[in-house]
Amino acid sequence: MECSFGLVGKGYTLIASDTNSARSIVKMKNDEDKIKVLTPHLCMAYSGEAGDTVQFAEYVERNLRLHQIRHYTELRPPSSAAWIRRVLADSLRSRKPYQVNLLLGGYDTSDDTPHLYWIDYLGTMAKVPFAAHGYGAYFALSTLDRYHDPTADLEQGLETLKRCIEEVQKRLIVGLPKWNVKIIDQDGVRELEI
Amino acid sequence: MSPSAQAPIRHDFNPYTENGGTILAIAGADFAVIAGDTRQSEGYNIQTRYAPKVFRLTDKAVLAVNGFAADGNMFVKKVKQRLEWYRHAHAKDMPLHAIARLIQTMLYAKRFFPYYVYNILGGIEEDGTGAVYSFDPVGSYEREACRAAGAAQSLVQPFLDNQIYFKNQQAAPGSPHPAHLPLNQVLALVTDSFTSATERHIEVGDGLEIYIVLAKGRNSNELESLKGVAEVTTASEAIATGERLFVLRRELKKD
Amino acid sequence: MSIMSYNGGSVVAMVGKNCVAIASDLRLGSQALTVATDFQKIFPVTDRIFLGLPGLATDVLTLKERFRFRVNMYTIKEEREIEPETFAHLVSSTLYERRFGPYFVEPVIAGLGKDNKPFIAATDLIGCLTLPKDFAVSGTASDKMFGVAEGLWEPDLEPEDLFETISQTLMNAVDRDAYSGWGAIVHVITPDKVITRTLKSRMD
Repeated sequence: MECSFGLVGKGYTLIASDTNSARSIVKMKNDEDKIKVLTPHLCMAYSGEAGDTVQFAEYVERNLRLHQIRHYTELRPPSSAAWIRRVLADSLRSRKPYQVNLLLGGYDTSDDTPHLYWIDYLGTMAKVPFAAHGYGAYFALSTLDRYHDPTADLEQGLETLKRCIEEVQKRLIVGLPKWNVKIIDQDGVRELEI
Repeated sequence: MSPSAQAPIRHDFNPYTENGGTILAIAGADFAVIAGDTRQSEGYNIQTRYAPKVFRLTDKAVLAVNGFAADGNMFVKKVKQRLEWYRHAHAKDMPLHAIARLIQTMLYAKRFFPYYVYNILGGIEEDGTGAVYSFDPVGSYEREACRAAGAAQSLVQPFLDNQIYFKNQQAAPGSPHPAHLPLNQVLALVTDSFTSATERHIEVGDGLEIYIVLAKGRNSNELESLKGVAEVTTASEAIATGERLFVLRRELKKD
Repeated sequence: MSIMSYNGGSVVAMVGKNCVAIASDLRLGSQALTVATDFQKIFPVTDRIFLGLPGLATDVLTLKERFRFRVNMYTIKEEREIEPETFAHLVSSTLYERRFGPYFVEPVIAGLGKDNKPFIAATDLIGCLTLPKDFAVSGTASDKMFGVAEGLWEPDLEPEDLFETISQTLMNAVDRDAYSGWGAIVHVITPDKVITRTLKSRMD
């Protein structure tokens, strides 16, 4: 019952994820950060099979870091997304595929554009103005269809994100009380209180 | 091991099959056209090249049945019987909208062992307009301007959406799309639909039977000039006063 | 749940008089849920060849890169642009390499060859080529497109008439398909230019 949302506004990308960590019917933890900061202007919300998620996120993190060390430059968001997608697509036809779904939020400092990518465990990738994974998608996407504005300032963007979270909390049978929200803009990645 | 010690063998009986073919009906302002191909098949076998799927119910009502042929034939037989009883009781033919409702109740009566058939009823309404009613196997129905059903429904219906309802076509300023097409154009679309379906669907072909119902007093000039048209109106006085019924038969590819 | 219709999407190609056209819808879904409405399924191979890849979206993305790589290698080694016939066989053999663990796409190829000869082709997911002389369809609305195209298409259409024919075929077919739609894109390849238009269509 994991949920994550993302949306793009004027000069920023917002990513939100619930903070539950559950095994079967047992809630093990309620303050898990499931959004990994990959590079100074890129972060990734991950969900899926326990074990695969953190393993995959760290694999991506270290490889993007390796790229920076080798080339003295960060990969830009579209290239990072393409590489991550390819890892998942290749993994899909391996003996044990990673079962991880991702939202990739980035800010391209070289042309000052915010980016958001929806990626699933099959390696399906789409560049989108807003996105959601998990059961939350069935509630939040219609909310986002109605309220999302790509030119909205941060205050309005956060307002829309809150609407999504409230919708899920109201209608999904499982309560997801705590949410982790990160913003990616020209200043890099920050965590936001909502 | 003795036979009695063996576990009993279970034989499943499936009471249904699918016999292919396609039906189609289009309503005009003062006529209705109901058509169907005549191939009957089971899997890759053609059982016959001439098995009618379109039936005259009255001089103003024609029923097309498609799906499981045995159920279809039985169903038509029962509808005809009910219409005959109606004639004996009321000394007139049942109106089209009433036949539609009758078909709904007859289909729903077998809700839990349905007639595995899609029905399309076409004819002339009491107000003289052409009408088409389409049904699902358990009796949900709707009056429409056109409907295709059967094996090639997915091929024909979007073509009809485009050519009859003018979907995805913008009308020229000042000349909106017509609500109903003239008879000759409707007949051309029906033949085109079936030749297309025959070309791309293996269960469609052999022959085409088109029933044409004309409203009271409507002239039949367009039909006189056509080859292969036969009038099948039953009531002799109807030829002068009532609805008139015609059949048009065409060959379809047999491969 | 079929793999071929997990993401949805449809492609059609048609032959005209000294021109060819290829068109697709723009939906990307995850079964019944629509994820994106600007998902490209048609990719330029050369200035005169386009490749349509309806099917499983991850394989669409992987294969477009794979074909880009193989066509670039061909161009470098041969020092000339690839011909449509050759490219069709490249597609076929690339897919057949994965005979027993296939990519789940059914490609459609459209292009102009030598002397501006129109060329269209389609393959199944393991690379079995068909070379129709009229039109090729593929994707979740393929049966619907067969029906409409068979009714609308005629030989020797001029570019503008071919555009109308392929657009109407695609739109009316995808409007009856829950897995395709949400906008469409059409490319008409003529000897001197490629006309690309995005269509305003039903968004449901």
